[in-house]
Order: sequence, then structure tokens, then C-alpha cells
Amino acid sequence: MMRGMWSSLLAALGLLRRRANLLCVGLDNSGKSTAHEEVVPTVGFSVEMFERGKVSFTIFDMSGQGKYRDLWRHYFSEADGIIFVIDSADRDRIVVAREELALMLENKVLAKRPIPVLFLANKMDLENGLSPVECSEALGLDRIRDRAWNISACNALTGEGLEAGLEWIIDMLRQAPPQ
Amino acid sequence: MASKKSDIDGDDTLFGSLDKATVVQEARAFNESPINPKKCRLILTKIVYLLHQGQTYQTQEATDTFFSISKLFQNSDVSLRQMVYLAIKELSGSAESVFFLTASLTKDMNSRSDLIYRPNAIRALCKITDASTMQSNERFIKQSIVDKKPDVSSAAIISAIHLSSLNREVVKRWANEAQEAINSKGVITQYHALGLLYLMRQHDRMAVIKMVQNYARGSLRSPHAIVMLIRYTWKIIEEDDSGSSRQLFEYLENWLRHKSDMVVYEAARAICSLKDVTPKELFPAVSALQLMIVSHKPTLRFAAIRTLNKLAMTHPNAVFPCNLDMENLITDSNRSIATFAITTLLKTGNEASVDRLMKQISSFMSEISDEFKIIVVDAVRALCLKFPSKQTLMLNFLSGALRDDGGYQFKSAIVEAIFDIIHSIPESKEFALSHLCEFIEDCEFPKLAVRILHVLGAEGPHASSPTKYIRFIYNRVILETSIVRAAAVSALAQFAVYLVDARERIKVLLDRCTDDSDDEVRDRAAMYLRILNEQDLATKYIADDSTFALAALENNLDHYLKTPASFSRPFDIKNVPVVSKEQEQADRQRAQAAARDRAATGQAAPAASAAAAAVPASVSEAAAAAASPFDAQSIYAKAMERVPQIAALGPLYKSSSPVELTDPVTEYIVTCIKHVFPQHFVFQFECKNTLNDSLLENVTVVMKMQPSDDPDAAGLKPEFVVRAEKLAFDIPASVYVVYRRLGGVTPTAEFTNTLQFIVKDCDPNTGEPDEEGFEEDYLVEDVEIVVGDYIQPTYVPDFERAWAELGDTHQVVETYALTAVTSIRSAVSTVMDLLGMQALDNSSAVKENATTHQLHLAGTYVGGIPVAVRARMAFNPSTGVAMEMAVRSRHPVVSQRVANAIQ
Repeated sequence: MMRGMWSSLLAALGLLRRRANLLCVGLDNSGKSTAHEEVVPTVGFSVEMFERGKVSFTIFDMSGQGKYRDLWRHYFSEADGIIFVIDSADRDRIVVAREELALMLENKVLAKRPIPVLFLANKMDLENGLSPVECSEALGLDRIRDRAWNISACNALTGEGLEAGLEWIIDMLRQAPPQ
Repeated sequence: MASKKSDIDGDDTLFGSLDKATVVQEARAFNESPINPKKCRLILTKIVYLLHQGQTYQTQEATDTFFSISKLFQNSDVSLRQMVYLAIKELSGSAESVFFLTASLTKDMNSRSDLIYRPNAIRALCKITDASTMQSNERFIKQSIVDKKPDVSSAAIISAIHLSSLNREVVKRWANEAQEAINSKGVITQYHALGLLYLMRQHDRMAVIKMVQNYARGSLRSPHAIVMLIRYTWKIIEEDDSGSSRQLFEYLENWLRHKSDMVVYEAARAICSLKDVTPKELFPAVSALQLMIVSHKPTLRFAAIRTLNKLAMTHPNAVFPCNLDMENLITDSNRSIATFAITTLLKTGNEASVDRLMKQISSFMSEISDEFKIIVVDAVRALCLKFPSKQTLMLNFLSGALRDDGGYQFKSAIVEAIFDIIHSIPESKEFALSHLCEFIEDCEFPKLAVRILHVLGAEGPHASSPTKYIRFIYNRVILETSIVRAAAVSALAQFAVYLVDARERIKVLLDRCTDDSDDEVRDRAAMYLRILNEQDLATKYIADDSTFALAALENNLDHYLKTPASFSRPFDIKNVPVVSKEQEQADRQRAQAAARDRAATGQAAPAASAAAAAVPASVSEAAAAAASPFDAQSIYAKAMERVPQIAALGPLYKSSSPVELTDPVTEYIVTCIKHVFPQHFVFQFECKNTLNDSLLENVTVVMKMQPSDDPDAAGLKPEFVVRAEKLAFDIPASVYVVYRRLGGVTPTAEFTNTLQFIVKDCDPNTGEPDEEGFEEDYLVEDVEIVVGDYIQPTYVPDFERAWAELGDTHQVVETYALTAVTSIRSAVSTVMDLLGMQALDNSSAVKENATTHQLHLAGTYVGGIPVAVRARMAFNPSTGVAMEMAVRSRHPVVSQRVANAIQ
């Protein structure tokens, strides 16, 4: 589902660039590949690709399970943008998400590359979910100074909110061509 | 393509001068964006090429490369993806975190399109799957096994076969899928599916028989699968002693009429290699092979003639009808076929045709490879033993071959053949020895020269004019390397002992050898000079050719040295079994023959043997593979040395062969080995836990003696038990139950046995056990002490003399009617099993369908009492085998006991 959604969305936006890699990360069960028709958690990573006209987009959908998280770093050097998915309903583990995020941003490779980060506060349909503002506070996003970031609430099941988020990241990519 | 070319051309191609560092650098291209598929494919090829050349990658290097390769998944170029899979498979052994690709692979596996790389993905998935990820990947593999596309299904089945070594239980759950895959359209898929089904059932004989019956009725269309089925059928018939699976033979016969050559050949070969095949059963198979040797296809001719050749060794008469057709094959343009044809004819031919055939062989010896020359040499050896009158001709041929060019294997085969001829045809000796003397004058293989010198030393002194060999031998002392010189010195000494006339002159020669530059040569010369001066020493050290069973000797000495308490008494050599040189040679030959057999059956049933090899070796398995029973015993002894209580019991006298107390397919497998010590009887229960989700702790065996009519049985008192602390999945452990034999009694008795233990559930993946366990009993089969357990087989060179020496003072004669056995052959093996003694004068070999037979046995009863047995047997189809057994020893009780052993 999400595969279809990504591609239709991006196509609709009429991108100009030839090629861009997005890295999709986040804790397990945050909903990165919810939509992937798969109920089983991703083991490792999976690559989603779509092309429209002269433009090709690649999303590396990384597994969020604890033991795989340190493997994200292998893909930082090629990414043109990062999508960090947060389970806004999982209040208990927002702290873990915060730690993982800090760890990721401290990574040597990423520190040198001011690529944009899009935060998706997923599962906004659930009643006890944090609002984007609360999320951003919980994650300490205001302390990110060295790169552009944005947070938007979304519901991966319906696709609601994704559009706005993606529009932002594509906009960012358009401003700063990938290295 | 490119890599194939480089194999031939060597350095000047693209891959010729690759080095790893450069390739690792180049691999950075994988991180580029956009990806250049052509370039990346080439780099991947280089990586795989280097791995195949034997280059190894460090873990870190491999992991880094692995991750950069993972980025290539973003490109959908089909050829690149296939190459990616190849590289992943090769690197999966050395890189870390390989499971990381699981999601990407399963995605490719499940892609609905007709993508060509789906099978590649499956094969790679199997490589990166480990015990922890197996369960989660199970669904994908099961699904792929039943895929409509044969290549996908085959890849999944092959992966399943590989995975079963990782976790047999999980794979067993895929039986339904495998059964469905057998009906696949794909020819090879059927074959693979059958292999997987067999793997699941191979330990269950009945299930395999059912499988054969089920598929033999024609539902298989793939000839490959039928060939496999034939091999399974053959194996069932071969392993069955009761003859109940003979009905399966009909299937084999039916396959002889199959329309595929492959199937017909395999069926014929299976029939030809059955162990008790009758001429009537052989006839249709030989006819089928006869049709093949006139076929226009060289492969068929080769296969058929090779099988006939093998059959001719055991059933020359059955092959006889093909003689005319085989004559035509001698001129076959394919030399390998011609070689087999000639050597087969040598076996089936009569004496008159031998000269003609030999002439033909000599003419094309120079045209064939060493491997086939060895086959010819073997055939000539067999022929020579069959027609002793032709030995001059044969020896001339062999010595001619010795002069030709050839490698060590070939020369060694010739020398062995000549040794054999010397051994079995006494008239040939002098002629053969002179050929050997000539050969060592110019022999480039020191190993062979040493062996020949040894034979010259052993045989030469007894020849009619022995002195002529001395010159040849002494020439070696002057001209050769130190190892050959040393052997020559030993040979000279043999001559000096037996030739009183020449002794003084040989001493002069030996005296000169004491100036040699090599220690060993000088030492030997000095030792022999000293020995020669005293007649007693000479007979003791040179003339006596018996030797001790070396493994047992080593063990006993080792034990002696480790127990300082025993130093007060000298080492007792009586406990070491004595064997003659011949017997030691026979043992060695048996071991070699067994190794050959194993190799042969391995060829016949590769799937079965591969599966067997996957099972980790336990003590008894290691012992089973040992060359002779003495070697096996020393392996047990070493294991028991490590248990202090048992090490204290003294030297091990005799170990029985292992007895299985459970079916090989039950949850716990228990094998019992009985050991006799000077004052004790030890039962070793070797246990194996086949459940990967349980852990046994504090394992012990409770033995209960059954009421026995043997009064001595009361002298067996339980002393102590050595428990096995834990029994984890697939790691064998032993429990020892020790009985004291009060007053050294040697009773027979029967015991019931119960395994007792605490069982704990554990995680099959990590082996982490639960805290709580519960006690459980597990009844295994009974174990029996038989008289043979107390008897060590001994070799005596001359049975008649030993028999006469023992005298009839304590002779016991018993008569038995063995109604349960169906032939003399099985009667002989039953008696030998029960008594555990050494058969002498080749009396353990029984002619097929023999009606009378005399068996000679010798052994040493515990305590060092020699025993001899003479058994006369007569066979009557209506009443079975009647046997009169006479036992002699110096001890009335022992004689009686041995005579009563048969019941």
C-alpha cells in the first residue's frame, strides 16, 4: 500500500530531479512498513523503488528492531534525506526514539552531511497519541540546528498527512541538490 | 564467460592479475549514485573470482563489502541482481549480520512476476538463514516449494535439504509440500523433491519402503528421480538381511524395461551390485547391459562395460555371454572402454585366450592414463592368481610395466601385484624377486624401494640361491638415501640369520655400515651385529614374525606408566593380544577394503551418505570407523581413562562391539558397550539426546539382573555408577555402570535397563534450559553378557599344533542343532559373534551353498587362558545346521563355559 502511495504521491508532485535516495528509519512498530502489506516485522531492510519520467526515487526501509538499529549507519552516506517515523501513541518508548535519534545525528557521516530530516508522527488517528508539538518536545527537536527538519502528523494506514510531509522534503531536496 | 576464459589463459586476461586490495577499493562503486550495473557486475565477478581462487576475507572486510553490496538492491537490473545473489552466497560464510538481507530477499522471492532471479533469491536466503531466523523464514520456503515454476520449486527444495542440517525438525514439517512438488512438471524438480522426502524419512525403514512402493508404480516421469528411487530401493534390499524386501526386486526388474537408458542402466547396476544376487536374477540385467555395450553412444558403452567389469570379479560366469561383444570393444577408439573390455575379458576368459589378450594389452598400455593402467594391473594380478601356470607371462608383463614411465600410484600397484603373486604362487617367487631386484636398481620412489627391500629380506634367504640377492641389497647401501640404506641393512641381517655359510661375509658388510653418516643406519647395523653373535637373540628378534596388536600394546603401556602403583611389578605383556604379521596385514587390507566399499556405496547413494556425514561423530562412531577391533578398543580405553574411578580398575582386557538398545529414530538413542577389566565388568551406555528442546541432567542407568541359571551370576556385585551430568541435544555422553566380579567369575547374565534422568525443557535456539525439571524413566532394551565378552581373539600361526598342544584332558564336546539359521555361512557368523574368537586357516570364509564346513577358532579367555575351538557343521535344508563343537583349554571350567556359549 505504502509503496503505491509513495509513488503516486511523488509522481503527483512532478519532481524535476533525476534521482534521490531516502532513508526511512524509526523504532520497531512505528509504522515504517505498516503499509507494506506485511504483518511480519521487517528483517534487515527492504528497498522500495519507483520512477516517474526521468526521476527515480529509492527508499531504503530500515528495520526498527533493536538488534538491527546499529545497521542504519551503513546507509547514511548515500541518503539525500531521512524520514524518521515516530509512533505517537507509544508514549513509553518515545524516550528510546529520542536516544536513537540523538545517536543517529551524532554519527560522523551524518554530522558532515546537512541533509533534511522529516519526522512523521504516525498513528495520529489513535486517541491517546501525542500531538506533533508534544512529539517535537519529547524528542528535543528544537536542538537540531545543523539541518533542516520538519514534523508532520500522519496516518500511514490511510495516507493522511503523508502528502504534506513529503511535499516538504521534496521541496528541501529541490533547494539543495544531492551531493 | 570472462572468468572461464581466464582459467585457460592465465595471467594476461582481465582476472589474471587481480589483487584483493584493488578489488576492495573498486567496490566503492557500489555506493555511487546512480549505480552503473555493468561496472558493478564486473566488480562482483571479481570478488567471487577471488573467493574461488582461495582468497579469504577478514570478517570486517567481508561485512563492509557485504553492506555495500546490499545497496545494489536499489537497482533492478536483472543480471546485476543475479550476480549480487552469487556474491552474497559466497560472502555469507565470512561476513557478519548477513541476516540483514532477509527482508530484501523474501521480497524478491515473493515477487509475482516472472523474474528470472527468484530461484537465486531462494538459494541466497538459505545461505543467510541461521537457527534463529529459520522459523521466520519457514513460511516463504514452504510457499516456494509448491511454486508452479519448476526452477523456483527446485531451488526451494535444495535449500530445504541444506537447511535440514540446521534444524531437521522444522524441515520435517514440510513433507506435504515436498509431496506436492513431486508432481511438478519439472524433471529436475521431481528428482529434488524425492531427495528431500527421502531425507525426511531415511531413518524410518518402513516409510522408505512405502515411498518406494508408492512411486515405483509409474507416477514419476523424471528419469533422474527414478534413478534416485532405484538407489533407495537398492539400499533397502541391501541392508535387509531377512530377505523380506525381496519383493522390491520386482520393481528393479521392471525398470530394466524402461524407455530411458539412464533408468535401465541404473536398474542393471543395482541388480549387479546386490550382495546375494542369483544367476537367474542377474540374467535380465546382464542382457540389458549387453545391449548397451553395442550402443553407438560412448557413455553408455563405458558405463555398461564398467559395470560388467565389476560384476566379472564376483560372477564371471554371468558375464560370459557378453564375451563376443566385448571382444569388439577392445578396438574401441575410446581407450577407457577398451581397457575395461580387456580387463573384463581377462576375468571371464579361459586360459587359452589369455596369451592373445595379454599381447593386445601390451600394445596399448602406453596410450592410457595411470588410472587405467592400475585397473589393468589389478586385472592381471587377479588373472595370475587364477591361472598360476601363466605367471611367467604375467610377471614379464608386470616387470615391463615397471620399466615404463608412471607415477607412484601406478608403480605401487605393480609392486603390490608382484607381492601378491609371490605370496600366493610359491613357484613364482625367485623369478619375481629377480624382477624386483632389477627394479630397485633404478627406482625413483624410496617408499617402494624400502618395501621391496623388506620383502627381499623376508623371502630372499629361503630362495634356492640366496646369495645373489645380497649384491643387489648392498648396492642400495652404497647408492641410496638414508631411509633406503636403513631398510637394506635390515634386509642384510635377515640373510645373515638364515645363511650360516654367508654369515661371516655379511657381518663384514654390516661392519662397514657402522661407518655410515646416518644415525639410523649405524644403529641398525650395530644392533644386528650384536644380535647375530648370539643365536638365541637372533631367533627371538629376527626369526619370529609375530607382533603385538599395536594399538592395544600402546594403550596398556600407557596405562602402566600412568599408575605408579604398578611399578612394583614388571609390565605384563600377556594381556596384549598377539597377532601375526599376516594377520596385521589382513586387518589392514580389511580396513582398506572397507574404505573402498564406503567410497563405492557413497557413490551409489550420495544423498544418504551426505546425510550420514552431517551427524556429529560420537565415541562409538569413531570406533566403528577405526581400522580394526583393537583400534576401536583403544579409543574406548582412552575415553575411560578420563574417568578416575574407572581408570583405577586396571588395564582394559576386552571391549565388545556396540549394541543398540533403542531404535535409531527414538528421542533418546542408547548404545551399550561391554568392557571386561581384571576384576570388574563395566557397561558403558552411550546416550544421545535427539530432542533439541530438552536437556537431560543427572542421567543414570538402573540395571536389574534377571534370574539366571548360571550359579556364578551371584558373583556379580554392583559397585558404582558414573552418571552423565547432562545430556544436551546431539552431544553424546556416557553413563558407566560398574560390577565387581567376585573371585574373577565370568558368568553370563541378562539385565533390564532403565534410563533415569531429570528432563528440563529448553529453548531450541539458544539451548537455555528452564529452571524447573521433572524426573523421568526411559526403558531401553535388555543387555546380555555372553561368553564372547570374556574372550580376546588371538592369532596362532598353526592351529593344528596349538590344538594338539592343548591336549584333550579338558576337552568338552557338545552337539547342537541350529534350526534358526538358513545356511552354513550364517551359522559361522553366529558362532563367531557369540564367541568373539579369531578364525584361523581362513575358515571364516564359507563357500556359497556349502553343505559341510569346519571352523577353527582361537582366543584368550580373561586371565590369559588360551582357548581353541573346532566346530564341524553340516547343513540340511530341512533341519538347518547341525554342529559338533569341540573346545580345548587348560582349564576345565573355561572349556565348559565356552562350549555352553551356544544356546
